[in-house]
Amino acid sequence: MTDQERLDSLKAALGGDILEITNPATRRIFLSVDRTKIAAVLTTLRDKLGMTYVDTISGLDTGETYEIIYHMAEATYGNVNVRIKIPKADARVASITHVLPGAIYYERELQDMFGLVVDGIPDSRPLITSDDWPANNYPLRKDWKFERPAEIIPGGKK
Amino acid sequence: MLNRLVRWSRKKSPWILHLNSGACNACDIEVVAALTPRFDVERFGVLLKATPRHADVIVATGPVTRQLKDRIIRIYEQTPEPKFVVAVGACAMSGCVYRGAYNSLGGLDQVIPVTAYVPGCPARPDAILDGVVKLLGTL
Repeated sequence: MTDQERLDSLKAALGGDILEITNPATRRIFLSVDRTKIAAVLTTLRDKLGMTYVDTISGLDTGETYEIIYHMAEATYGNVNVRIKIPKADARVASITHVLPGAIYYERELQDMFGLVVDGIPDSRPLITSDDWPANNYPLRKDWKFERPAEIIPGGKK
Repeated sequence: MLNRLVRWSRKKSPWILHLNSGACNACDIEVVAALTPRFDVERFGVLLKATPRHADVIVATGPVTRQLKDRIIRIYEQTPEPKFVVAVGACAMSGCVYRGAYNSLGGLDQVIPVTAYVPGCPARPDAILDGVVKLLGTL
């Protein structure tokens, strides 16, 4: 499938939900949607275009917003990446586990790393931070400062 | 007389425990390679043991992750005296590329006392063997 065919099929399937669509390289499409529509968009992609696999969910702290990208992989084309923007004042996102159940691990990681609240997640326990991790510390937030514990030098400095 | 006998037996049968404290597995593969007949570690009496309660030397690889810190201390405390720790690889020595990461505490000596360090990324099997034998030479 060529890029143009995939672009056309995406536009036909999603219509007005697409805020922005780019094709920066072959077999890569980035599209932006509204954050409230993410579950509906992924349902459409799954049912109409056969995208049943989410590679990963990546996140970025841009200062005012969090940018979350759902990387959808597809055998006949390549990668279709769905981007949403979440304002920091209201850091919530709807869960997509009822569309793609395997996404739960990425959503739990989002909660650990960015402190986003994923609404409707079936299991919201921490996934990758350690058991003694202090609450309200989110390593991938830009305003998070890490204080390294003082190092012990066995035998002292020479 | 008895002391000499004890020292002789200690030197001639150092049983080791292979401990991964958060390594990427490269050093682990080299530790396992060092235990193959090619290097014939049994000439030094080295045997791999599955439990810290039988071990004399802990051969540890990898930086200390925050999650594993308490478990490493527990394993160290389970090992009977006298016990020795060999830190294998650059990560176990100083934390290497993981040094200063939010989930890593740096080298193994931040958590438990270390007797010998073996550099390398990963350390060669002969270097690991050399480290353990040099440790035995200090007894």
